[in-house]
Amino acid sequence: MRRHIVWTIFRKELREALRDRRTLFLMIGLPLLLYPLMILGFSKLVDVQTEAGKARASKVQLWGDVPDALAGRLAQDHRLEITAAGPLPELVRRELASGRLVPPPKPPPGEQSERDVKAEAETSLVAAIRPVILDRSADAVVFFWPGFSASLEQQRLGHLSIFYDSVRDESRLARQRLGEELTRFREEVVAGRVKTRGLEEGFAAAIEIHPQNVASSARRSGQILGMVLPFLLIVMSATGGFYAAIDLTAGEKERGTMQTLLCAPLRPAEIVVGKLLAAWTIGMIASLANVASMGATFARLGGPGGQIQVGLPVYSLAFAMLVPVSLMVTAVFIAVAVFARDFKDGQNYLTPLLFALMFPCAAVMVPGLELSVWTAFAPVAGIALLMKALFVGEARPDLVLAVLVSSLVWATLAVMFAARVFERENILLGGREPLRGILHFERRPGLTPSAGAALLFYAVLQVLLFYGTLFLKNAGTVVAVPVVEYGFLLVPVVALVAAMRYCWRESLNLRLPEWNAWLAAVLLGLSAWTVGGGLLVRLLPPPESLIRALEKILLLDDKSMPLWVLWLIIAVTPAVCEELLFRGLLLSALRPLGMWPALLVTSLLFGLAHASVYRLLPTFFLGLVFGYLVWRTGSVFTGIIAHALNNGLMATLVHLRPAGEYRDLGRSVFLPWDIILAGSVVMLAGLLLLRRRAGAPGRH
Amino acid sequence: MLVAESLVKRFGDVTAVDRVSLAVRPGEVVGLLGPNGAGKTTTLRMIAGILTPDTGRVRINGVDVRSSPLEAKQCIGFLSGDTQLYQRMTPREMLAFFGRLYGMAEDRIGRRAGQLIEELEMASFASRLCGTLSSGEKQRANIARAFLHEPALLVLDEPTASLDVVSGQFIIESIRRQRAAGRAILFSTHIMGEAEYLCDRIALLHQGRIIDEGPLSDLLGRSGCANLTDAFLRDIGRPGAPHEAAP
Repeated sequence: MRRHIVWTIFRKELREALRDRRTLFLMIGLPLLLYPLMILGFSKLVDVQTEAGKARASKVQLWGDVPDALAGRLAQDHRLEITAAGPLPELVRRELASGRLVPPPKPPPGEQSERDVKAEAETSLVAAIRPVILDRSADAVVFFWPGFSASLEQQRLGHLSIFYDSVRDESRLARQRLGEELTRFREEVVAGRVKTRGLEEGFAAAIEIHPQNVASSARRSGQILGMVLPFLLIVMSATGGFYAAIDLTAGEKERGTMQTLLCAPLRPAEIVVGKLLAAWTIGMIASLANVASMGATFARLGGPGGQIQVGLPVYSLAFAMLVPVSLMVTAVFIAVAVFARDFKDGQNYLTPLLFALMFPCAAVMVPGLELSVWTAFAPVAGIALLMKALFVGEARPDLVLAVLVSSLVWATLAVMFAARVFERENILLGGREPLRGILHFERRPGLTPSAGAALLFYAVLQVLLFYGTLFLKNAGTVVAVPVVEYGFLLVPVVALVAAMRYCWRESLNLRLPEWNAWLAAVLLGLSAWTVGGGLLVRLLPPPESLIRALEKILLLDDKSMPLWVLWLIIAVTPAVCEELLFRGLLLSALRPLGMWPALLVTSLLFGLAHASVYRLLPTFFLGLVFGYLVWRTGSVFTGIIAHALNNGLMATLVHLRPAGEYRDLGRSVFLPWDIILAGSVVMLAGLLLLRRRAGAPGRH
Repeated sequence: MLVAESLVKRFGDVTAVDRVSLAVRPGEVVGLLGPNGAGKTTTLRMIAGILTPDTGRVRINGVDVRSSPLEAKQCIGFLSGDTQLYQRMTPREMLAFFGRLYGMAEDRIGRRAGQLIEELEMASFASRLCGTLSSGEKQRANIARAFLHEPALLVLDEPTASLDVVSGQFIIESIRRQRAAGRAILFSTHIMGEAEYLCDRIALLHQGRIIDEGPLSDLLGRSGCANLTDAFLRDIGRPGAPHEAAP
């Protein structure tokens, strides 16, 4: 690719885009107008409404056995307007007299503040009071249960209920005002009783609880912003690139200038990268305008007495995070928009994509979903969660790295896809071509999948796996591992081979090997972990939290689990499912690249699938060993044996240790050198056995 | 200069171009004549390296368009009647842009742009945005773009389509000057008068195939007609008798 050509195209596209008033408005004008208008205007409206509500007295009716002293006190509160209540309905009176209607039981501590009457039995009392509140005769009704006045006089417990409508602001405010006044009244009554009986202060209350919030104001602001801002920023920056992407592709086709560019001596990749950089720059300028406008708006809003206080560094980091996600989204936009014949067609194509983008962005609003080794690798969602973590100051360096690396990988894949589309001259000239052909996803009866198809399949699988595992968050390992392994790895692999009519034997390396291949598989399965787990973990020791999480995942913290179940779930299941994907489908698809490229790529993908920076090196190493084994023997079964032995042996060793001792494995006690040495010798023997074989069987 | 051999292009089940062979020598104008849908544009796009033929090959100055597309495209100036300009750029900016894409040095771009602006009488609109130009002005700017890098071969696909008589004649005269400068020109049109006036040799294209090819006098002689229109109509009235074009 010639950089000066890319630069020339980039400059031209940017110049043209900046001369377009529509692009300029969407890029800079809209964000500058939108945030102040939306946020300031909305908050002003809320303020006005709130003030108007506060200025108005709440209409309250007092029902039942109302003590005069309390009625007088409530009437003196200028925030309350006590209105006359009619007589109690006959049914209520009868039920109270018969004892069928009694005060509800005291709610548990967590539910004291908000109690939903609908959750309780619909009583005649509720039925009588509800219309009074709903027709706005009163904002709230206080019902004093029979004997309330006597209970107060006799220093016993009196019951009253506040009825209100949680949907109506005025009603909620009335409840709040009544609550405050009645709480003050109760404290006075308690203080009077304590004094009368000559008890010590604090006798009745016993303990006073003082909640202290340790979150700084910046952190609290971050939490509020982290729920909304990543979503807004990503979607707005994508919108900036949205029109540019359509204009530079479908728009150019519509204007008939694409052909002019195609007859110049240019490579498709140069055109796509030049256009992509221009659309991306426009998206980034839009992002910058968004961040600046939003920052200024929040600074104005969060001034004296405001709650939002976020520093410039946090906004700068949020903007920096937009760089990779914006590149990825723009590349996908460009690649898809080029299929469109004109601007309108392009909008039809990209609008669903923009909506689809909102789904992973909304991850920040899902309660409990945080940045983790799993979420870090999810396209778009990883970045959104990282922004959220940055806002509250909780981003771990390893996860930042993981998110950035995965985002760049996704962005590169998107750019490669876009470049591939631009190689299709027919599409650029306004013709139509099936997507399957571009992705090399054609049916290949009796053959193996192409490298592109297999890599795309892996990427789709990873995305499915991410969203699938969201539903398995609370499932135990006994359920989660088989569901993930069979449901998200094995079934899709089998479905792909069947649907595309690939050759089962060649695509999955389903060959029975000779006896010495079995022996090599056993030797490598028994020994590879000593080098992978023993030597490489010393280079990059994992943190304590990861060890604990792994122990839990691998059921190693449950000593009551029978060993055979452990083997089935931890050893056999992953061995079968993962080997058929990585050493079966992927390795056979990448075989045309040659041994080392194929092994390196499949091992890297194998390592990445284990979703941890710390596990990457050992799993990459194991992937290389198993890959070499399958390459030389031509049989995925040898990989399955070695993988199962590797996992099973580690699980067994930890399982059979006395309780408590295995935890040391995660601290600083690494595998002893003598075991590593012995393991290395066995591994070497296994590798030598493989070298003496003639080599991988040929493909038909 | 240009040698196209047995070009075939299919779009789905439709064979748009069927075994078309052509040759154009330096200083020669070859006309590709045919009605709408005959396969002229597809043929020219394959020759210009914009479309890849299913079979057959194109060589320009001995360079294979398929295996060395960048090198081959350096030798081609392509222009079609429906080629549009960048609406938000001026002709002068557009010439500079394409000059850089063709790897021309900045001073050469400036010199050539100045030359063409004068030659094609573009001075009055060279600094106006292309979106504001008339059809004739746009096509002149387009011609300047195609001539800019002084290509050895000009591939012109109905360059006078949708132009008025005055603008069309201006374009035709520009093409004649390029022939005089020794360039090879492949020119498609469905206006028979233009072909008679401009072309040294003519290839008649019908339903994707060349049905006759040669100097105007030979075509008329073979058909026994007085003019090209009659000759063409007579030729397409002979289905099932296609001729392979002579190289």
